[in-house]
Amino acid sequence: MVKIEIDEDACVGCGSCVEDCPNDVYEMDEAKNKTKVVNEDDCMACLSCHEICPAEAMEHKNIHVAKRLYIDRRISGILKKII
Amino acid sequence: MEYQIEREEKEVLGDFKPELIPDECGGGIDDYEEALHVLMKFVGSMSSALEQVSGRGANAIVYQAGKRMGHEAGKMVEKTDDLEKAMQELSEILGIEFFFDMWKPANQTGYTVENGNETVVKLIFRDCVVRQTLRRTGLPQKGPLCYLLYGEIVGAVEEVMGIKGKLDIDHVGPNACLKTLTIKWGGK
Repeated sequence: MVKIEIDEDACVGCGSCVEDCPNDVYEMDEAKNKTKVVNEDDCMACLSCHEICPAEAMEHKNIHVAKRLYIDRRISGILKKII
Repeated sequence: MEYQIEREEKEVLGDFKPELIPDECGGGIDDYEEALHVLMKFVGSMSSALEQVSGRGANAIVYQAGKRMGHEAGKMVEKTDDLEKAMQELSEILGIEFFFDMWKPANQTGYTVENGNETVVKLIFRDCVVRQTLRRTGLPQKGPLCYLLYGEIVGAVEEVMGIKGKLDIDHVGPNACLKTLTIKWGGK
């Protein structure tokens, strides 16, 4: 089962994940102005929320991680040396 | 003086004679990786060029290409009227390049939903060579290449079940895409 963890210190409360999630997994906690997970069971681990989150504030655990054959390891190696 | 191309890599020399069933294809994993990336770039630029030249017609062309592939794949599967069984068998055939599962919201009892003379099932594509290619070439999802998958699934379902189907894209993401497959009962 998918487990989603939100780093409340990192979350900027922009609500992008709430808008983007097709299955309404997230909701805004108006009191804290942070995202909260309300419907974890419906998460299909598309990870659109990861892509849209400006603060990289979430982590999905126990999901199918798609193969990343598109990564050019040679370029990644060069980038790792620079960054 | 005769000019010669210089390479860092050493050329592999060996003997060769025609054989009916080759024992090996040669090359290492790095060669495969490099070939895959070249193919991804090739397909990606072909897709964007196709879109540039044909506009929305690009989707129809790619859809037809996918449909042919789907019909070919469907021939390897036992014919059935059961949508769930067809999906199970197709996932075994297409599962390497398109790893997909049936998906339902937690509060829904079964995967299939009957809607008049239509049956609807949601499919989640977890591994997809199209998505890999789009990410490799920096192209957006839901473009013409996604119609390849659309065509392939529709073609395969038509082949296995002998009925018309359509696939709608519900949501695309970097790790999975959700699509709705609708099949219409009552003839081709």
